[in-house]
Amino acid sequence: MKTEADYYALFDAYQSGQLPPEEQAALEHRLATEPDLAQQLVDFNELTDTLHGYGRRLTTRRKLRAMQAALDAEQAATEAVLETGHPSMPVMRISRTEQHLREFWSSHRATIAVAASVAILAVFATLLGLEMWRTAQQKPSLYGYTVLRREVERIKRNQRAMNKALTQMDEPRPNEEVNPGKFSGTGFALTTDGYLVTSYHVIQGADSVLIESRDRQRYRAEPVFSDVAHDLAILRITDPKFNGFGRLPYSFKRGLAELGERVYTLGYPREDLVFNDGSLSARSGFEGDTGFYQISIPVNPGNSGGPLLDDRGNLIGIISGRQTDVQSAAFATKSSYLMRLVDSLATAKPAQPYNLPRFNQLTGNTRPQQLRKLQDFVFVVKVYE
Amino acid sequence: MGKGQPSYTDEEFVAAIQGGDDRALAQLYRLHLPMISHLVLQNSGTEDEAKDVYQEGVMVFYEKVREGSLELSCQIKTYLYAVCRRLWLKRLAEKNRFGGRLEDHEPYLETGAEADVDQAEDRDQRFATMAEALNHLGEPCRSLLEGFYLQEKSMQQLTAEFGYTNADNAKNQKYKCLVRLKKLFFTHYKEEESF
Repeated sequence: MKTEADYYALFDAYQSGQLPPEEQAALEHRLATEPDLAQQLVDFNELTDTLHGYGRRLTTRRKLRAMQAALDAEQAATEAVLETGHPSMPVMRISRTEQHLREFWSSHRATIAVAASVAILAVFATLLGLEMWRTAQQKPSLYGYTVLRREVERIKRNQRAMNKALTQMDEPRPNEEVNPGKFSGTGFALTTDGYLVTSYHVIQGADSVLIESRDRQRYRAEPVFSDVAHDLAILRITDPKFNGFGRLPYSFKRGLAELGERVYTLGYPREDLVFNDGSLSARSGFEGDTGFYQISIPVNPGNSGGPLLDDRGNLIGIISGRQTDVQSAAFATKSSYLMRLVDSLATAKPAQPYNLPRFNQLTGNTRPQQLRKLQDFVFVVKVYE
Repeated sequence: MGKGQPSYTDEEFVAAIQGGDDRALAQLYRLHLPMISHLVLQNSGTEDEAKDVYQEGVMVFYEKVREGSLELSCQIKTYLYAVCRRLWLKRLAEKNRFGGRLEDHEPYLETGAEADVDQAEDRDQRFATMAEALNHLGEPCRSLLEGFYLQEKSMQQLTAEFGYTNADNAKNQKYKCLVRLKKLFFTHYKEEESF
């Protein structure tokens, strides 16, 4: 019985070809028929191969170490050995700092680029967002410049639009208790027998017009004539139960009022009659419109169509609108235009003649006395659409 | 080169190294060290790590050439770069410092070098097991086998060194040692493989 070591000797001899031919043939026959023995041979080969390979590996490692050591020694001798040892790459002499900078740039440029673009995007997004937010905020509260201009152009086109846009006032005063679709303004008597004056924009688009006096008397009225350019409207009371206003205390001024004259108005900006006074600030209106006065009376929505009177009780104008972006600038149609309108209407021989008051009962009275006489001739004009 | 050394083309390098020309190997070693050094230094390595990785890489190349099994589909430079890149990635992964991306400064191609590296790794594993087995073998077997296989001394030389009466005695001793080594080696090797 052979030991494993004996077999190894046999294998060794077999592989180096030292076996006699008959023994070799016998061994090959056994290897072919005995799997255990074949496996032993395979193991033996693997073992010796690994040993040889390991030996070679150690040798190679020693060689490489020696090469590296030689290189290191060379490098210690001359600083630039790495560069001179690299023939395919011409070496550029750069300073230490620049080298660092270059390395930094080459290794971080992608990150830097991304960071920069993110920063730029963020800045623009923020700016844009802020701008949008600001415009969105401003729209309801203030007149933006562009918005104002558009309004102004519209005003140039048409006087009614001016009042609407500039004054906001005139408008639409919703009265919830009766009819939500109702607007209101102020009007005053033109003649004793039922003609009234108000602003055109008050009755603009009206289906029906109702006049309400201070003592809650209501009369149905209808527009007789409108002057869009001067924002004037003349109404006539059609109610059968109406039997005249009585004698009018004021008279209409045909000429121009003086600059600086103390003026006042009565109107219905709310449910009750409201008095306001001020001075005549300019003899022209918005954008130099000569059909209007500029007055320094604080007026509110609902004041439209109210009478403007001077100290002596002459009616000099009809309140029309105000400029929102200017402090205390209201506008009133000049009474001379109203007179011209009435004259032209009178020449057309209307069914009911215009009997304008000739005498002024207010001159010389104190302001409260004037108001007491005046208050019955100022009305709420209610408009249903 | 400027040092009186002959310059080789890639084919000449392979031929010379296969023929066992150590000067060619030394020159090749010197030629590509800066490239790998740069790669490792750029990717959070040190000078020493660069040398280690480079030696491993050259080892892979060298063993493939000596075996004659190298299939070079690109320049030696590119092959070495791919091998060393792979090796350095593994080192980084072991150090847990790999950020997921390497800064390449050479064109990096799929060269089959990856497979060579894996193969070399298997072999490393085997050699490590062998070193372990040799350590456990004990004297005089270890010195005898190391003398015969690693240092490639002749049987006569070993007979004299170890004081055997004749070469046959030494041989028998060697085979006995081999049997013991085999047991150690295969238990270790199989164990590790089964993991």
